[in-house]
Amino acid sequence: MITIDGVTRVRGRTRVLHEVSFTARPGRVTGFLGPNGAGKTTTLRVLLGLDRPQGGTALIDGRRYADHDRPLTVAGALLDGSGAHRSRSARSHLRWVAASNGLPRSRVGEVLDLVGLGAEAGKRAGRFSLGMSRRLGLATALLGDPPVLILDEPVNGLDPAGIRWMRTFLRDSAAAGRTVLLSSHLMGELAETVDDVVIIDHGRVVAAGELAEVVGGHATLEDAFLAKTGSEGVSW
Amino acid sequence: MVSLLDAELRKLLGLRTAWIGLLVGFLAAPALVFVSAGSTRRAIAEGLYTDSSDLGFQTLGIGVLGAMILGVVTVSSEYTPTGEDAPGARQLTTTLAAMPRRARLLTAKGAALTLVVAVQGLVTTVATLALTRLVHGSLVPSPAPGRLAGAVLYWVLIGLLAYALTLIFRNGIVTLTVLVVNTSVVSVSYLLTKVTSAAVYLPDIVGAHMFLNEVGDHDVAPVTAGLVMSAWVAALLALAGWLFGRRDA
Repeated sequence: MITIDGVTRVRGRTRVLHEVSFTARPGRVTGFLGPNGAGKTTTLRVLLGLDRPQGGTALIDGRRYADHDRPLTVAGALLDGSGAHRSRSARSHLRWVAASNGLPRSRVGEVLDLVGLGAEAGKRAGRFSLGMSRRLGLATALLGDPPVLILDEPVNGLDPAGIRWMRTFLRDSAAAGRTVLLSSHLMGELAETVDDVVIIDHGRVVAAGELAEVVGGHATLEDAFLAKTGSEGVSW
Repeated sequence: MVSLLDAELRKLLGLRTAWIGLLVGFLAAPALVFVSAGSTRRAIAEGLYTDSSDLGFQTLGIGVLGAMILGVVTVSSEYTPTGEDAPGARQLTTTLAAMPRRARLLTAKGAALTLVVAVQGLVTTVATLALTRLVHGSLVPSPAPGRLAGAVLYWVLIGLLAYALTLIFRNGIVTLTVLVVNTSVVSVSYLLTKVTSAAVYLPDIVGAHMFLNEVGDHDVAPVTAGLVMSAWVAALLALAGWLFGRRDA
């Protein structure tokens, strides 16, 4: 369970998050949607303790991420890139991450197989394609077999087969009882995957609820999104 | 804490650049003993060495580069972009997701570095002094254990100094350039001692008094030197820790 309550963040003179509040529940995929620059990544970084909020709280199972012992067993996160130093092999990257949380070494092989990188375990992260980097990042998030997954733009850089794989993986994770929170600016990809939707625009939550509720009278999630964010009529 | 130290040791020893630091540290000083053997022998014959017990220890200066490289890369590797496709992505994100308590993380990182650099310093100092005896024989007195300990402590403190500075600058190139230029090309610290005697207490200069009898024109007792250099490093580490705790990752 993820509880974000009144999170405000100021960067320089700009207020990038205005009292952002929402929850993501177990057994459901929550889509955190918004245009680029709306504050999605910042919210997720605050949730993980990477950025400091000026107000509000962001909790995972009632505690701040950093207050959990062995946090990788509580929540797994996929942010930008692979998160691995480019000179390290996928295996050696995952081994130090596993060691840091006292996870068994056998998990390294398991997660590499799970994301389809079993054959690339000895390859240096710097030589990975974008799609492979995302898979390595996901493998890192899954090391501790956490009940909560936090994923920033998980389908970015994936080929169609990768996108389908990710979608199935996310649905299966929620079916297994995990809390899945993912951010995206791609509405089409999300409509088929998410149960709940939170829409953020200019640092404010403009809509939140079950998918059907948020879509409401609009034809598609995309239409609802454009109406809520006031971006209708803008040429892309 | 053991698992954090385990992770940080694996990270450091899994870096190619760290192995450059290890090799430079291990090889440079012993190699210099051989390379400079001839000129050193002539200098001794001409009576240029008033204190020949400094001989092997002086050679160590170049090996300390290894400790600097290790201190720098343990931090700079966290800030290196992971790839062109994601310019903002760095290993630091993974590190903080795995070890979000920042003070504990920095302690574990510093401890891993200290361990590696101490072993490097000990092995290199013993090897360099032994080689010096081998090459110059009875011209060099057998080294005092206290000075050997001082040299290893200097080695560790230089590593931690580089660690603290890189945490402050968040950039390995800047730190390494400043440190390397100051040790090998032109020692700004040393030149400053010519201007004001207070510069004798700059960390890199004062530390050398722990194991060298003749450093510049001033004398500082070895224990005083150790305390002053340790205080410098402790202060810089405290500043680095404070900044690291406050900054967004």
